[in-house]
Amino acid sequence: MHSSSVRSLREKFFDRLLEIGMIILALLVLYPCYYMFEASVKLPKEFYEPLKFPSRIFWGNYDNVFERVQVGRALLNTLLICGGTLVLLIIVASMAGYTISRNRHKLFQILFVLFLAGMIIPFQTSMVPIYKLAQSLHLMNTRTLLVLLYTAGTIPFATMIYVGFTKGIPRELEEAASIDGYGPLRMYWLIIFPLLLPATGTLIVTTVFGFWNDFIGPLLYLTDKDKMTLITQIFVFKSERSSDWGGIFALCSLATLPLILLFVVTQKYMIKGLTAGAIKG
Amino acid sequence: MHPTRKRLVYGIAFTLPALLIFLLFTFYPFVSSLYYSFTEWDIVSKPKFIGLDNYRNLLDDRLFIRSAVNTLTICLFVVILQNPLSLLLGLVLNKPFRSSYFLRTAFYLPLIVSLVVISVTWSNLLQYDGVFNEILIRLGAETIIRDWLGTTSTALSSIILIQLWYGTGYGAVIYLAGLQSIPHEVYESAQIDGAQGWSKFRFITFPLLMPSFTICTFLGMVGALKFFEMPYIMTNGGPGDATSTLALVIYNFAFKNNTFGYATAAGILFMIAISIVTALQLKLTRSREVEY
Repeated sequence: MHSSSVRSLREKFFDRLLEIGMIILALLVLYPCYYMFEASVKLPKEFYEPLKFPSRIFWGNYDNVFERVQVGRALLNTLLICGGTLVLLIIVASMAGYTISRNRHKLFQILFVLFLAGMIIPFQTSMVPIYKLAQSLHLMNTRTLLVLLYTAGTIPFATMIYVGFTKGIPRELEEAASIDGYGPLRMYWLIIFPLLLPATGTLIVTTVFGFWNDFIGPLLYLTDKDKMTLITQIFVFKSERSSDWGGIFALCSLATLPLILLFVVTQKYMIKGLTAGAIKG
Repeated sequence: MHPTRKRLVYGIAFTLPALLIFLLFTFYPFVSSLYYSFTEWDIVSKPKFIGLDNYRNLLDDRLFIRSAVNTLTICLFVVILQNPLSLLLGLVLNKPFRSSYFLRTAFYLPLIVSLVVISVTWSNLLQYDGVFNEILIRLGAETIIRDWLGTTSTALSSIILIQLWYGTGYGAVIYLAGLQSIPHEVYESAQIDGAQGWSKFRFITFPLLMPSFTICTFLGMVGALKFFEMPYIMTNGGPGDATSTLALVIYNFAFKNNTFGYATAAGILFMIAISIVTALQLKLTRSREVEY
């Protein structure tokens, strides 16, 4: 009895020590993010004393960004692209996933395999033909193109999530609705789709960060400054030869802050969704 | 209409929108890239069919080979360093710490930040008059300070370390989920059988974590193979070709050199490489998964 309580005491002490170590490690991991915010409010003359705490908060870098970049416009573009993609993706992928899960006809199982095979194709393989395709469809330099590209690229993953979640919905509901005279469309949108809300939530929190942060898409397919997303405007302040670090960090902070807020709010669902998609998939 | 037939018709109608978007923007570009890969093409004029020349030239292209080697090196380090670190972190985060909410958030946070922002921030931290060298000077290690990303011998390792900082938390969360899905009874009966400490981990926990191991290795490898933003922004593949990756070199073939047919052929080889590497890995790790 005595020896086991000594052991558990020692174990407790060890755990406490480990926890303190982990907190220090976590702060180190967070440091680059903190540094970005700190550097964005530093006076230019203090910038090259990187370890020195700013003597006062300096908003000049932000003024500079708002002057040279249409921040509101760029944010609106980013929101339009993210929002448009999510709406389109949720509509088409949920219907497809529901059908693939419920309808055992061979056709739909082949379709599912086709979607999953599409996951292997890296963007670099098709980026040039997409360029050509966009030109011939007159979609070059439009936000619609990015919405369609992101949707197409995420359909496999999204369908997979909806196939998985549909299995959890009892079939009796559909039978009952059918007896009540619901047609397939009404049944889907009024009964099934609301029940798939957890799947939709999972999908949103696991994919929206990728759409928001995508860099190569706008870089290749948007040229018009009025249509650019926030993050791609970084090159206003960064060129091969010189970098206006103050402006860069202010812009980075502006582009990151909404994501951090979103993350803190959705973190619980995100980690749940990640695991639902990853382990049970 | 016959009910089965009606079901089929509605099924097709329900899947058609997704199928059309997928065919037009994923499948069709892929199929046409197969054709373009056999051509010489500057995107403005008509592509000229040249057979296998692009592929032949690629295998002699030193920059391409070097980029492939760099990409595989990054991939290898992700598998042998990042994956065990993720597992370790997952095991520690599974302990009932009072600060566990904070810890999980902190380690996962880098993942939601744009890779552009990460690349820019780290290139500032690691530059000659940056934070990292400043710390080294204060610690009295002036002799080793350098432009970490601008020196051939340290550029690639620096990028790999940044990737570890970026990706370890993601893997840890996947392992954490795996750990939490192991039923409690398994541990109880293991305890009765006298399994403790290392043997408990070796014979109980780890085999049951194999699905997480599979998914973690898979995601880590695919991510490493597609490495683009970090070298594009931090080093542009340099110095020389020290940090050039496949994704970056393909981008440069197309949009810097305007050799679009060549770039597409490189893209096809890239896809074949990804398929082989991931298929091998899935076969290897899937076969070790156990049921419970």
